[in-house]
Amino acid sequence: MPSVRPASAGRTDIAAVPPVALMGPGQAAPRRRRRGHDHLAPYALLAPALLVIVMFRLWPLILGVNFSFTGDGDRNGTPVGLSNYTELFDDPVFRTALRNVGLLVLLLPVAVAIPGLLATFIFLRVPGHRVFRNVYFFPAVLSPVIIGAIFNLLLAADGPLNAGLQRIGLGSVDWLGEPKLAIFTVVAVHIWATFGMALVVFLAGFATLDTTLLDAARADGASTAQVIWHVIIPGLSRTIQFVFVTTMIGMLTSMFGLLFVMTAGGPGGSTYLPEYYIWIQQGQMNRPALASAASTVLFLVMLVVGLAQIGLLRRGRRED
Amino acid sequence: MRGARSSGWLIAVPMTALALATVYPMLFTTNVAMKTQREYILDRFALSRSLRWDNVTTAWTNGGMARYFVNSLIIVVAAVALLLLLGSMAGFALSHIRFRGSQALFLGILAALFIPFQVIMVPLARTMADSGLIDTYPGLILAYVAQFLPFTIYLMTSYYSGIPREIVDAARIDGNSLYGVYRRIMVPLGRPALLSIGILDALFCWNDVLIALLMMPSAEHRTLMVGVTTLRGQYSNDIPSFAAGVLIAAVPVLIVYLIFQRQIADAITAGSTKG
Repeated sequence: MPSVRPASAGRTDIAAVPPVALMGPGQAAPRRRRRGHDHLAPYALLAPALLVIVMFRLWPLILGVNFSFTGDGDRNGTPVGLSNYTELFDDPVFRTALRNVGLLVLLLPVAVAIPGLLATFIFLRVPGHRVFRNVYFFPAVLSPVIIGAIFNLLLAADGPLNAGLQRIGLGSVDWLGEPKLAIFTVVAVHIWATFGMALVVFLAGFATLDTTLLDAARADGASTAQVIWHVIIPGLSRTIQFVFVTTMIGMLTSMFGLLFVMTAGGPGGSTYLPEYYIWIQQGQMNRPALASAASTVLFLVMLVVGLAQIGLLRRGRRED
Repeated sequence: MRGARSSGWLIAVPMTALALATVYPMLFTTNVAMKTQREYILDRFALSRSLRWDNVTTAWTNGGMARYFVNSLIIVVAAVALLLLLGSMAGFALSHIRFRGSQALFLGILAALFIPFQVIMVPLARTMADSGLIDTYPGLILAYVAQFLPFTIYLMTSYYSGIPREIVDAARIDGNSLYGVYRRIMVPLGRPALLSIGILDALFCWNDVLIALLMMPSAEHRTLMVGVTTLRGQYSNDIPSFAAGVLIAAVPVLIVYLIFQRQIADAITAGSTKG
């Protein structure tokens, strides 16, 4: 690299050096003309973006963690140590929210396997694969609020789903009113709404798959199941890893709209997730410091889950 | 699926059922929106015989959806324009200019990508309130720009990295400054990426409800999606008007989806294959 760099730039003025490939041999004259204001150019181009990101994303993160160690109401601004965190973990509603996070982690393989399998069949050109691809993606562009509103209609006690169940002789089910069932209903709707997103990602991964391996496996008489297990899954490990992490992030951070419209955390607080708890404590209960503590816990949960998944999947790949 | 024709058809059956389950809820809602209340109560499933637009006009005017629609439109257009401007400038700087700290800045932006809104929303609301930006258009626009900018920069950077250095090189030899290169080369050549990323950003902003709820407390500033959440209380006894309100909020997205399907998929997969 240094050999391409013009002597005049020296080592103290790296910023003034245009990208190596920008400098054709013997371009000394124009370079002199532009050096004056160009060495500030990258910073000027980046400044507005950085300002926004630092002010409205990074700074609030630090502020929030700091905030979680202070009090609410009368004790606003005074340090209270860990008392927000002890209150948080004593709150049965927050504990339910964490338990529901555990449930989401357990359901994660299902949420990844469904689009994965569907993408596999589309890749293997099941009849009608083009139509499937386009239709499946469609709910992914709708807002959770719209989806929640529609499913409120469909799942109502006297709604079409129950009417259909009754017509075929099964009883009606209180999909959103039964505390044990409601969270599964909401998660199922979330998966229905987002599997198209993961499907598209899987299909992009398939496009990079080495087809000669597939043909070889086929020629050796491998069954579809064997092809999936021995060729497709190892070949797609990076994509699978990506989908695992993004699906988990989606479950932890983009179900607010559904919860807000479909259950409002109920019945009996059974469908709370940390993001909904944060919203309620901040907006309805006027407990911003407690909400900040919940935010910090959510951030840590995401960090741990994300890193653990990457770790697990890495190890899995090495064994192959 | 050579030699597996029959099993292919066997799989196509449940996949078709799933495809129907994917579109049915929207079709059901559309049908309900066209019904009279009486028709709906008598039979939920029958096709609407009246095909009335009354419910749509009711939700549009009485339900306040018209106002919410305009609010959303203003905010989304402004936010996406800013996102693309800032994102392409930063993407150009990070992909084609070598300067001190470039690597660290890129990593910092990547890290910001993984900060969910829920984690920063409490202090953000406070900062916005302190600076008088809460319940204003600029406040919500800024919140959206901050939320989706790291993603936009990341995708613009990876797109611009694919533009050959020689093109930039030639423009520099012609005497362009780096700003000139941005304006004359990067913006025009970046058009496909700007289109797909812009559409994705627009969908994100249009579909959001949490940030809008937090930033726009007053009723006259509601965005369309926040408006949808109020429909239930408003039309608890008038399901067809409720469905019509939902339809109003969904139709723009459906149109965008039908026209720009490929671009949307491109933008989503661009993030996955590079990561």
